[in-house]
Amino acid sequence: MLTTLINVLSSGLIMGGVYAIISMGLSMQYGVARILNVSHGEFIMLGAFLCFTLVRSHVHPILSMLLCVPVMFVIGFVLHRTIYKKLSDVSGSTAAFESNSMLVSFGLMFVVQNVALLLWGSEQKGYTFLMRSVKILGSPIALNRLLVLVFAVAISFAFYIFLERSRLGKAIRAVSQDPSAARLLGVRRTRVAAICFGIGAILAGCAGALITMINQINTSMGMNYTIIAIIVVVLGGMGSIPGSLLGGFILGFIGTVVNYIDPSLSLVAYYLIIIVLLLVKPSGLMGGKS
Amino acid sequence: MKLINEYKANPKKLILPVLVAALLVLLGLSPNFTKPYATIMLGTIMMYIILSLSWNMFSGATGYVSLATAAFFGVGVYVSAFFGSSLSLPLLMLMGGIFSFVIAFLVGAVTLRLRGVYFTIFTLGIVKLLEQLMLYLEITFNKTRGRFVVSYTFTEVFYWLFILMILVILLSVFIKRTRFGLALKCIAEGEDAAMHIGIGSTMVKILAFAISSFAMGAAGAAMATRWTYIDPYIAFSTNLSFLPVLMVIFGGGRHVFGPLIGAVVFAYIQELLITDFPYVYMLAFGVIMIVSIIFMPNGIVGVIENIVGRIKKAKGGRKNADP
Amino acid sequence: MKKKSVLALILAVLAVFMLLSACAKSETGAPQDGQTPDAGESKIDPNKETIVFGGSRSISGVYAFFEQSAYGPIYKMWVDEVNADGGLYVEEYGKKMPIELKVYDDTSDLSTMTRMLEKAIVEDNVDFILPPVSTAFLYAAAPIANKYGKVLMGAEGGSATLKESIAQYPYFFSSLNFSDTQVPALVDILKEEDIKSAYIVFIEDLHGTEYSGAAIPALANAGIDVKGVKSVPADIQDMTSIINDAISTGADAFLCMTYPDQGYLALNQSISMNYNPKIWFMGSGGGFSSIVDIFGNDVVEGIMSWGAWNTKSSEACKDYFDRFYARYKDDPNVSYDYWGLVHYYAGLQCVQEAIEKTGTLDNAKVRDYLANNHFTTVLGDTWFENNMIAPECFMGNVGQWQNGIFEVIDRSSKATSDPIVPKPEWPAA
Repeated sequence: MLTTLINVLSSGLIMGGVYAIISMGLSMQYGVARILNVSHGEFIMLGAFLCFTLVRSHVHPILSMLLCVPVMFVIGFVLHRTIYKKLSDVSGSTAAFESNSMLVSFGLMFVVQNVALLLWGSEQKGYTFLMRSVKILGSPIALNRLLVLVFAVAISFAFYIFLERSRLGKAIRAVSQDPSAARLLGVRRTRVAAICFGIGAILAGCAGALITMINQINTSMGMNYTIIAIIVVVLGGMGSIPGSLLGGFILGFIGTVVNYIDPSLSLVAYYLIIIVLLLVKPSGLMGGKS
Repeated sequence: MKLINEYKANPKKLILPVLVAALLVLLGLSPNFTKPYATIMLGTIMMYIILSLSWNMFSGATGYVSLATAAFFGVGVYVSAFFGSSLSLPLLMLMGGIFSFVIAFLVGAVTLRLRGVYFTIFTLGIVKLLEQLMLYLEITFNKTRGRFVVSYTFTEVFYWLFILMILVILLSVFIKRTRFGLALKCIAEGEDAAMHIGIGSTMVKILAFAISSFAMGAAGAAMATRWTYIDPYIAFSTNLSFLPVLMVIFGGGRHVFGPLIGAVVFAYIQELLITDFPYVYMLAFGVIMIVSIIFMPNGIVGVIENIVGRIKKAKGGRKNADP
Repeated sequence: MKKKSVLALILAVLAVFMLLSACAKSETGAPQDGQTPDAGESKIDPNKETIVFGGSRSISGVYAFFEQSAYGPIYKMWVDEVNADGGLYVEEYGKKMPIELKVYDDTSDLSTMTRMLEKAIVEDNVDFILPPVSTAFLYAAAPIANKYGKVLMGAEGGSATLKESIAQYPYFFSSLNFSDTQVPALVDILKEEDIKSAYIVFIEDLHGTEYSGAAIPALANAGIDVKGVKSVPADIQDMTSIINDAISTGADAFLCMTYPDQGYLALNQSISMNYNPKIWFMGSGGGFSSIVDIFGNDVVEGIMSWGAWNTKSSEACKDYFDRFYARYKDDPNVSYDYWGLVHYYAGLQCVQEAIEKTGTLDNAKVRDYLANNHFTTVLGDTWFENNMIAPECFMGNVGQWQNGIFEVIDRSSKATSDPIVPKPEWPAA
């Protein structure tokens, strides 16, 4: 009984950490840049393959993850400065921009996926990393997964502190809470949005790199992660970073518990949660007004 | 009667209906004189037209972006899979439509409170939930994942889709011209305002959602008989949720025939890319999508309207300069 | 008012243009003699230079890896080999005719696949069709192939349950071995190695339900206690709870009847948690070279999977592998599948021999020849029983990684090695 409890707790925590980091970038991109980036999963895939390629050329996985950071930021930043900025110029209203940008992300999904397919092929790829276990209260826990949990939590907190403490973080929060007031205070909205999109890409890239440490990857894996990220973001409240963290862990625990009962029901449970939650509290657990 | 008088007063207004009617007659007769593949392809294009027109009927009019198309389509597909051997094709389509209508009505009734992106995510959630639920039921009780579906010839499916498409076109025009359409438009422009001026916004919304889903379900029932083998992933493919939205945006949703044009052009480009550039199909498709949304936010119809506007301006300018 | 009608006119003209061009496009590729597709009887055109093989494959999308690393490299190699030889000799044309490929991308979408397959048949008038990828697509293609009377030599996918429905589709052939021979072979090995209990994980689809459905009663009959059965969805992210459950049951054998995605995840987590049962069995994917690429030879040592063949199976297999390796050794996307690789190629060789022996491109005659004759392929003497490759032709049903070689370990004369049970410890990380 005790071992089962520890197993559920540890698995839930680890999955929760992964889910949280998967979804924070998406939440941020929506909260500040108003883009529901359905190609988010493709950026996770991109980060995973960048990391994998580096590891295959004998770079340490953790160093590879760090190397992904600037690359992903540049990709995200440039994408926003070119495509999304132009899009926001031609879209009449915020609502029009929201639906247009979602469709552009959909197009982006196709582009990124096809480029990855041409670059890396469609086979399962992966490497082995820290496939050992440590015993915690008598139950074995995989070391690589534990490490991923540590990194996911560390990155999340670093990110949270950045938002709370730094000047840029304050500007970002200002834009997400009240765009027009932020403009009055001299915050350059599109620039902040572009930086946020870049940060979203960094988080996606880190999530992808972490995934390579515990699972195999392939170039068509993006869509599944996008859907999980959307579920977590809705669960936590669109645009709320602590919400994503909380949502990620809740989903991780629910997934693990359902996995114990009947693994084939885990996805059914996820979709049921999101549907029920939207009906009961559309703004999510940590969201403000809907 | 009012309509006839209107047309008498302005015969030019007849051009479009007459042209469309002529085109439809031509299309209806096409299996007799085109090659078989043209009929197959036109069948697919008609499916896209039905989906995008019916999507636009609700979402285009109200501004509620629904991604539930695949859910209702999938319900139709499963109706054909379950009852295909005992019912004829038109009955299957009718039944698929009714099932979708009922489900959409129920879904619509509970999702009223949701707006904007929440509604969109909810509808996507419905698709995935139905997919996973169906998968679970099939694996648990049927011990398999897929089903064979009774097969009909492509000409048969073509004609029934053709009839359905005409119904959907008529319905779109009808809704646009009646009080019902006006009510939907009011919802788009401000739901609270609509309620204030006495429009039962709730009922109108649910009804429009359900009606548009009827056509989706019927189309699903028809197409399943062309696919011959289906499983939950195929029936509830999210592609079918996104494609109609893209087609409408591509064609331009404000004009009744925008989605129609969008569906035709879109399907044509897709076919060209798949057959001639299979290795970069997704890349080209994605680029076209991005470029078209950025450079023609009002769709093909918007571009045409611009051109027409410019021509008229030029004409007007010349007239003024003439005397 | 005026603006509106001009707009309407332009819209209508555009629509007419699009529809007509859609029709016109399909007419250009169509034959001029007005033959119907269902007639099957093609007139001999002395100017015909090539034999066209066409169809729909998943070049992009979730099934793209089949085309990139399974059947794709095989049929391309086969076509090049045939063409290097000048082509196939077709008697009714009195000459050797090279093969021309005409492949469309179905983007891993079933509705596109059925349309593209029909396009290849009715518009391009291909002489022979290529199979689409995956079981579901093959099942959807079977009625189409049958309707137009085109031989459909299946490759990736299919299942033993086909036996019940294959009689309806006489043009559909299957070249792969399935649960009906593989599961008994596995159970025999378990029994012989004195395995007392097993834990089963299976993927929620036709493949998983078929194999677990066959395995559970077979294990019970053999007196092996099934201590747990878990089904998993395709996109499962975490299997630690399952591994923990398996550990707690203390089963001797862990049978993971899934696809590579889930199998590799389960393997990763088994190693991490040091779960090392006497038998660690992986379903589809366990016999692919990609498992070695990812985990390395030390880790996969002792892992069993479906299959099976290797270069020691026969001279023909060795020769085939060498040619395949020489051609693809620099392509990182091609993996070596010690289950299907020989079967898919053998299927193509049967079609080749049937065309040359019957001396015609008439699919009806080729089908009859395929159904009723013996062929010499990479598998040796090969023939079909009820359109499915005969069990006697298989090189093996179960394999095990031993020193970097996927050894055939069936209890039969075709075995290349004895099973190693219990499997060795996982290597220290």
